[in-house]
Amino acid sequence: MKNVVIAGYARSAFHPAGKGALTKVRPDDMTAQVLRTLVERTGVDTADVEDLIVGCAFPEGEQGLNVARLIGFLADLSLNVAGVTVNRFCGSSMQAVHQAAGAIQMDAGEAFLCAGVESMTRVPIMGFNPLPNPGLYKAMPQAYVSMGDTAENVARKYQIPRADQEAFAVESHRKAAKAQAEGRFEAEIVPVGGVAQDGCIRPDTTAESLAGLKPAFDAAGTVTAGTSSPLTDGAAAVLVCSEDYAKARGLPVLARIRSVAVSGCSPDVMGLGPILSSQKALKRAGLSVADIDLVELNEAFAAQALACIRDLGLDQDKINLDGGAIALGHPLGATGARIVGKAAALLKREGKQFALVTQCIGGGQGIATVLEAV
Amino acid sequence: MTAIQKVAVIGAGVMGAGIAAHVANAGIPVVLLDIVPEGAAYRNVVAETAVQKMLKADPAPFMHKRNAKLIQTGNIEDHLDLLADCDWIVEAVIERLDVKQSLYRKLEAVRKAGSVVSSNTSTIPLEMLTGGLSDAFKRDFCITHFFNPPRYMRLLELVTSPQTRPEAAQAVTAFCDHRLGKSVVVCKDRPGFIANRLGILWLLAGVTEARRLGLTVEEADAVIGRPFGIPKTGVFALIDLVGLDLMPHVLGSMVKALPETDAFHQIDRDLSLVEKMIAEGYTGRKGKGGFYRINKAGGGKVKEAIDLQTGDYRPTQKAQLESLDAAKAGGAAALLAHADKGGRYARAVMARTLAYAAALVPEAADEVAAVDEAMRLGYNWKQGPFELIDKIGTERFVQVLKTEGIPVPALLETAAGRPFYRIDGATREQLGPDGQYHAMRRPDGVVMLEDVKRTVKPLVKTASASLWDIGDGVACLEFTAKMNALDPEVLKGIAKSIPVVQSGFKALVIYNEGSNFSVGANLGLALFAANIAAWSQIEELVEKGQEVYKALKYAPFPVVAAPSGMALGGGCEIVLHADAVQAHAETYIGLVETGVGLIPGWGGCKEMLARWQANPKAPKGPMPTVGKAFETISVATVAKSAAEAMDHGFLRPTDGITMNRYRLLADAKARALAMAESYQPPQPATFRLPGETGRVALEMAVKGFRKLGKATPHDEVVAGKLAYVLSGGDAADVTVELTEDDVLALEREAFNDLVRHPDTLARVEHMLVTGKPLRN
Repeated sequence: MKNVVIAGYARSAFHPAGKGALTKVRPDDMTAQVLRTLVERTGVDTADVEDLIVGCAFPEGEQGLNVARLIGFLADLSLNVAGVTVNRFCGSSMQAVHQAAGAIQMDAGEAFLCAGVESMTRVPIMGFNPLPNPGLYKAMPQAYVSMGDTAENVARKYQIPRADQEAFAVESHRKAAKAQAEGRFEAEIVPVGGVAQDGCIRPDTTAESLAGLKPAFDAAGTVTAGTSSPLTDGAAAVLVCSEDYAKARGLPVLARIRSVAVSGCSPDVMGLGPILSSQKALKRAGLSVADIDLVELNEAFAAQALACIRDLGLDQDKINLDGGAIALGHPLGATGARIVGKAAALLKREGKQFALVTQCIGGGQGIATVLEAV
Repeated sequence: MTAIQKVAVIGAGVMGAGIAAHVANAGIPVVLLDIVPEGAAYRNVVAETAVQKMLKADPAPFMHKRNAKLIQTGNIEDHLDLLADCDWIVEAVIERLDVKQSLYRKLEAVRKAGSVVSSNTSTIPLEMLTGGLSDAFKRDFCITHFFNPPRYMRLLELVTSPQTRPEAAQAVTAFCDHRLGKSVVVCKDRPGFIANRLGILWLLAGVTEARRLGLTVEEADAVIGRPFGIPKTGVFALIDLVGLDLMPHVLGSMVKALPETDAFHQIDRDLSLVEKMIAEGYTGRKGKGGFYRINKAGGGKVKEAIDLQTGDYRPTQKAQLESLDAAKAGGAAALLAHADKGGRYARAVMARTLAYAAALVPEAADEVAAVDEAMRLGYNWKQGPFELIDKIGTERFVQVLKTEGIPVPALLETAAGRPFYRIDGATREQLGPDGQYHAMRRPDGVVMLEDVKRTVKPLVKTASASLWDIGDGVACLEFTAKMNALDPEVLKGIAKSIPVVQSGFKALVIYNEGSNFSVGANLGLALFAANIAAWSQIEELVEKGQEVYKALKYAPFPVVAAPSGMALGGGCEIVLHADAVQAHAETYIGLVETGVGLIPGWGGCKEMLARWQANPKAPKGPMPTVGKAFETISVATVAKSAAEAMDHGFLRPTDGITMNRYRLLADAKARALAMAESYQPPQPATFRLPGETGRVALEMAVKGFRKLGKATPHDEVVAGKLAYVLSGGDAADVTVELTEDDVLALEREAFNDLVRHPDTLARVEHMLVTGKPLRN
């Protein structure tokens, strides 16, 4: 079977929805700008690209009409590149990577552009027309459970005190602020509309400042806005291709995809999704947690991230070296591509061998990817 | 006369910033400058901070947050060039002559020829302000004295000098009247002008006489408040509101400037208690408290009042005086005649104050109407001092003065028992210092219903509504019940009016001159019916209301609603059914039914759906319309201005806003006549609503609020019914077209269910008893 590699990664700055610097930027324009720059930086000939796969959690409005095809036009990709929009909520653009990897291995293409986008300003979470199935809602209300409630459920189930969640959030901001101050995001961020700096990071976050916040979802709960990822505008993209193609064209290979997995779980504790999907991916990779050198674990909520860390037996020092979604932001469809690209780049930067990339998904799912150094 | 198109305000204190905000409310760009504080890194910090603070202030100085963008902030060291294209420059800096004059000298160099400069001074005479300045400056200069807060206080005192160009005064007057909505009262260049000169004497007398006569602050406020048509804050609570520290300052400057013969010199000015309070930080509501305070010691919240004799605080006590009981029946006259300490206090304070008012004409004002207007709008008195004297009777009032040993002013001698106002035919006249009556004329473009009502009889009259002929083929429907509450008599009045308008008029305006357009349905009647289980009566009322509002909407003549003040619940619904709205800028409109556990039942749900559905900016699909209407109604949203009402969909973008309350009826009438030209009744809306799936989506959202503690158990019940109506009920589906009548039927069903719910009745009762919503 062909080896599949990540041969490039770029993203827009991430900014808070509704008030950040990207509120006025259309999501299709934002993604196109990221893709144009990714193509430029990697030097890939887009005539060789089989497909543009764009992940998006709410593909309607400005993100609708098979936005992947339209982004392809906006990004001046060669007309022979196809375009498909995929939706696995928060896991959408990691799913895009998986689909590309699968296609390459069945010889259905050599190179794929995998992107993800969400303007949570311009297309609200739940979309413009939430129309749940009344029958399903009656029979299984948790099918429509709110994300905040799932975080509370996990916090309760795993007895994760509020202070622990807040300590985790403080650490995320500290790492992200440090990385930002040291200019470590510069290589990955593509300026969009003149915006080249992340906007969600709060370097002054302290345990005390978080302790003063009111619960965000349940008056009697422990989860606050400070221990949740913010609503975010942003886009990310990676170049996925066969190792042979990358080498032949001299593309800057970051990492090889070793294994992938998805899994389901109960929707009311969707934050636990990474546990099973990671275990499956590790097994397929023939590795154990002890073999993993670094982890990109999406921080939808601190409670959920801590529960996954506990059950998977992960080493906190290896997780989210440059901060996670609580600090950086979580533009739903874009996060998968960001953390796959980030983990691949980190393997190279840190000189490590194996990375686990995983995230939870609304509706009760997990998705995971194991990367290895080339 | 050139219209004012750009304004500058110098001085970003409370008044200057507030004036700038209000100019922005008028849609006019305004430059706001202040000093550069020593060592400031950011040189515009004072003006900029003032704007940011105003965006968070409550009551809001801005009618809409976007108005803040019309203010360009800067500082007087770097940005005086910004004044070059300003037509009017308002100075609102510290009350120091040297500071003001040095600023004026700088202005002379930068302002454009013919621009008007005015000062917002409250204490410095105009003559002193312009002393030593150029003739050109003097020609363009006047005093424009705003009241605090500038957005809400409708009084503007204008002082000109003999040198002031008439066109300059006219330009400022026209701008303040039409654009800022102010009533411009012309004052002479005398200390304190009119309102504060009289107001400060009144407050001073109120404080010192209460102490002398041994009244508690509660008793004093009860005597001086309601019986005289003065806000219930009376004397002491008003001083707490404006700030105790202001008093000695203004008083000092007044005493210094006024001649020995002035009443200010005769009155007891011992403010030692006030000075002690100020020194201890009791400067009023902005400080630790004032004559009243909230004592939070021990975790409690006890309202306390100061003992005027000892200076110690104690819990408040309700005022109980025989004279107050007498006033309930006999009004101010009975109070003034009473022998107890309440009567003595009323005489000592009000007789002195009203006499002083008479002494101000013609010294500080040319006419009595100016003094009355100043006190009505500057101090929120229902009646001005001369109107009060008329009510008491001039002859009787002179008697009171004589027994109190207060000198009788010349104007009262001139009146010689005659009233200060009289009606001659259709004309209202006022008594001048020359002893003659002079006709009072409204400014051009002002039509007042109270004038119309003096001259003609109503075309239709029920216990709660009247229909008037306001000329030019336009009729005016007026609500007349207490608070303009809506009841079966209003509905009867509307139903009777429709054929009358149809047969004899071109258009209808719905308007009244109460403080509020309408506070909504009469809840007392509804609760009474519910208590005796007269459900059919309530059902009938709901149905009748729907029928009448619908008849208004589809009548063959245009209907223009002209609300001012509160337009709530059923009052909002009637506005929603009008073909067009001409709203006073200070209109507070909203569908507040959920607050008492109900939903809008007179077509409010239907109209809000129709509004949002017609909004071209709303996203497509069945939910955005339903969601927007739900968001607005479920939390009983009340717009805090007419401009905000457009955001919420209560007003259409095409509806008009009138800044000056006095011009509202004329503007509404003009709008109605313009529409009458080629009027066609609207086509009924149809709806494609999501049905159960939409209801489930809304219920899910409400559950989230409930979990968060933001929604109560009964909120969830009421929101569920509202979701049922707005999503179109069980029969709805995106493939099915619903009519207005279908939605009206859903409103009735949900309303009638809710009104039987004990938790709803508990809310209604609580609202009637306490005036506040019950969160059950």
